[in-house]
Amino acid sequence: MTDGDYDYLIKLLALGDSGVGKTTFLYRYTDNKFNPKFITTVGIDFREKRVAYNSRGTNGSPGKAFKVHLQLWDTAGQERFRSLTTAFFRDAMGFLLMFDLTSQQSFLNVRNWMSQLQANAYCENPDIVLIGNKADLSDQREVNERQARDLADKYGIPYFETSAATGQNVDKAVETLLDLIMKRMEQCVDKTQVSDTANGGSSGKLDSAKTEQKRCAC
Amino acid sequence: MTEAVDLSFLSEAERDLILQVLQRDEVLRKAEERRIRRLKNELLEIRRKGAKRGSQRYSERTCARCQQSLGRISPKANTCRGCNHLVCRDCRAYTANSSWRCKVCTKEAELKKSTGDWFYDQRINRFANRLGSDIIRMSLRRKPQGNKRETVGEVLLQKGQLSDPKAGPKSPQQQHKEASLTCDSLEPRDAKSDTESTENMSLDGSHPLSAPAAASPGREKTKTLSPSGSNASSLTIPVRSREALPSDSDSETRLGSRGAASADESDTLFKKNPRRSQRSSEYTKSVIDLRPEVPSSESGSLGDRSKSVPGLNVEMEEEEEEDIDNLVEIHRQRTARSSMRSGVSSSTLGSMVSIYSEAGDFGNVCVTGEIAFSLSYEQKVQMLFIHVKECRNLAYADEVKKRSNPYVKTYLLPDKSRQGKRKTTIKRNTINPLYNEMLKYEINRPLLMTRTLQFSVWHHDRFGRNMFLGEVDVPMASWNFENQLEECLSLHGKDCADLAAFPQHRGELVVSLKYIPPAKHPSAGNGRKGKREEGGELQVWIKEAKNLTAAKSGGTSDSFVKGYLLPLRNKATKRKTPVVKKSLNPHYNYTLVYHNITLEELPHTCLELTVWDREPLSSNDFLGGVRLGVGNGMSNGQMVDWMDSTGEEISLWQKMRKYPGSWAEGTLPLRSTMAKAKP
Repeated sequence: MTDGDYDYLIKLLALGDSGVGKTTFLYRYTDNKFNPKFITTVGIDFREKRVAYNSRGTNGSPGKAFKVHLQLWDTAGQERFRSLTTAFFRDAMGFLLMFDLTSQQSFLNVRNWMSQLQANAYCENPDIVLIGNKADLSDQREVNERQARDLADKYGIPYFETSAATGQNVDKAVETLLDLIMKRMEQCVDKTQVSDTANGGSSGKLDSAKTEQKRCAC
Repeated sequence: MTEAVDLSFLSEAERDLILQVLQRDEVLRKAEERRIRRLKNELLEIRRKGAKRGSQRYSERTCARCQQSLGRISPKANTCRGCNHLVCRDCRAYTANSSWRCKVCTKEAELKKSTGDWFYDQRINRFANRLGSDIIRMSLRRKPQGNKRETVGEVLLQKGQLSDPKAGPKSPQQQHKEASLTCDSLEPRDAKSDTESTENMSLDGSHPLSAPAAASPGREKTKTLSPSGSNASSLTIPVRSREALPSDSDSETRLGSRGAASADESDTLFKKNPRRSQRSSEYTKSVIDLRPEVPSSESGSLGDRSKSVPGLNVEMEEEEEEDIDNLVEIHRQRTARSSMRSGVSSSTLGSMVSIYSEAGDFGNVCVTGEIAFSLSYEQKVQMLFIHVKECRNLAYADEVKKRSNPYVKTYLLPDKSRQGKRKTTIKRNTINPLYNEMLKYEINRPLLMTRTLQFSVWHHDRFGRNMFLGEVDVPMASWNFENQLEECLSLHGKDCADLAAFPQHRGELVVSLKYIPPAKHPSAGNGRKGKREEGGELQVWIKEAKNLTAAKSGGTSDSFVKGYLLPLRNKATKRKTPVVKKSLNPHYNYTLVYHNITLEELPHTCLELTVWDREPLSSNDFLGGVRLGVGNGMSNGQMVDWMDSTGEEISLWQKMRKYPGSWAEGTLPLRSTMAKAKP
């Protein structure tokens, strides 16, 4: 297995209603395979993947490449496991919040998942990407992109339409999340070390995202 | 923190599945823990090499990292914006946007990222606010690292195992209230995980605050409590209601002996930093805790609160803890705007330091190889420059894996103090390390002529057990400083130098031994209930030592006694007394206990007691030792070199065997080396 020859261990967690495809999404991401069968996840599971991450300087110049070990937690969407799965939220550094593009209900529940996250994650405004899965099933689609994107904008988080079946946007969604986390990490370290230097740029964005979250939670 | 998770709704099969996941998670977590230790070690190394420390005077005009003189420079442009120290160009690291910080700050930042501390620090803040009291109560019971990094998976894994019907009877702590149940159920994790590495084992053992350990089932109890005595000092301890707690007598005894130790230290208490004095309150606290029927009262949790303040709750006994923290503090003191963050980060740093605690057994390496160096003396600056070039053909510290991580340490004997120590960097995985490093001593020439330059080579183990790889002494009086050519000397073992330089005799150790046979031992007087009955018990009451060698400047030693019950020389049989400071005639008054020893085993075992001078952040110095056994060179039909007791050592051992249940006391001369008497 791994023996620690990586630079960062980043823990992500996928959440969302039962059957939206969290497990298959992660399976596609880690193994690049697709399993069309629906096997409900018992409580909690995880997968791992080693990726290279290239940090970029503030001016966009290429930086150092890091080995990142991803631990991707997969949670059961079923209500009965809720107490167990939400307990795991606090150990994740970023979240893949998923819904099913062919299920309006799963999309409506994103709101609930969002508040679960705000209550149980390591901080009030953790890094999240919103993922509409099963984009390949266009004939059964119930959620249109406009709706989803508006919601994501409201929360100030990125949105992707993905398909575990075709692999569309799967890597991109995870990489975007990883990028957010790595940026936050830099900021955290910067902030604690240089407390008087104002943190510009994206930290402001985070703050605004936070206020927006608060607004909508009311 | 996790008491909210109720898993009773899971079916048997589901629980098994989840358990499997959690076990996989544990593997990953263990690897991560190892990685983090490694990383923190690296920081320690950098820090150790340079940073200005409180104990040394330094000029304002020197680089805070490498101590090079800076000459006339503008303070503004040369101040690290992380720590506000003046730093020379070589000790900086530039970031992408061409700003810079000193190497220590940079490394610290890197570490915060790569260890995930950026995340854990935030997380703990959040949940501390939300579930304040519970967190505090929990943080009380564990070291900050375990506390902060603990994941839900980890907790559940333990919980899952505990609630597994196959895992055996329910433990007594189930009766406790919910919060404490969660805490207690975490305890086995502590005992099992990386904390089991030697240094933390010893921490656990000497931890006065192991309230949960004392209340937890026998499995851990033997581990955490065994370095205590029962009969020995219980004589001096007022008897409390013994029936109430199974581990009662053990705990009391431990407190008794700890109490004695803390009294011995009381004179040093006030000179040290606040943490030191806090320890004394912990002693008192554990007395309260262990008394039966005292619920976690208000007063108790009040006291606890202070401990949950980061940076204060580093409750390790080890000295280096202090040393590092001190260092870190100094590193930070000049950070004018530090009030917000210093607390957070010092907890982080605090957690890394135990790594160094158990440094310094000699191990059993057969010394080989040589060291190449050159010396020069600069009259103008009154400095001795030692250019350590390289070592060749060193011994493998790990014969099996063919590994050595050697570094070179120097002293100008007889000064073996911390200030008189210099070290090179550690070269990893090589027996031919190339250093090309300059070690410097500021010393005037006449004084230098009275000194002996000692090089010793050590294997650095990331888990703390540094191993001796050889040494060589160079008397300065006879050195030709005109000749600045490279010199190459072969290394030799500790013993021959010591044998030649010092008398055989290195003071005495006063020990009392008692063997309590299995089962039918009289229950009167010690109330040992609920203890396993299979084996007997060997009690080793370390009373005092006399006329120890002084290892520190000022003619004192900070000594402790370590025991192994051979043939096992590992943590299972390792026991240690607390450190008694600044004394060549220390009173330890501490009892080491070995369980499950049968009378038949006694002739095949040998009790090795060694006295060490605790040398923070470095290898402890060996002061002397004894081996108690039958001395016939045999164990279980095998020839062994450690069954080499002589004279008083044999007779004391035999006396103990002959009269089970009563104390056999002796004053034993300390050997100057534990190596074979005759090669």
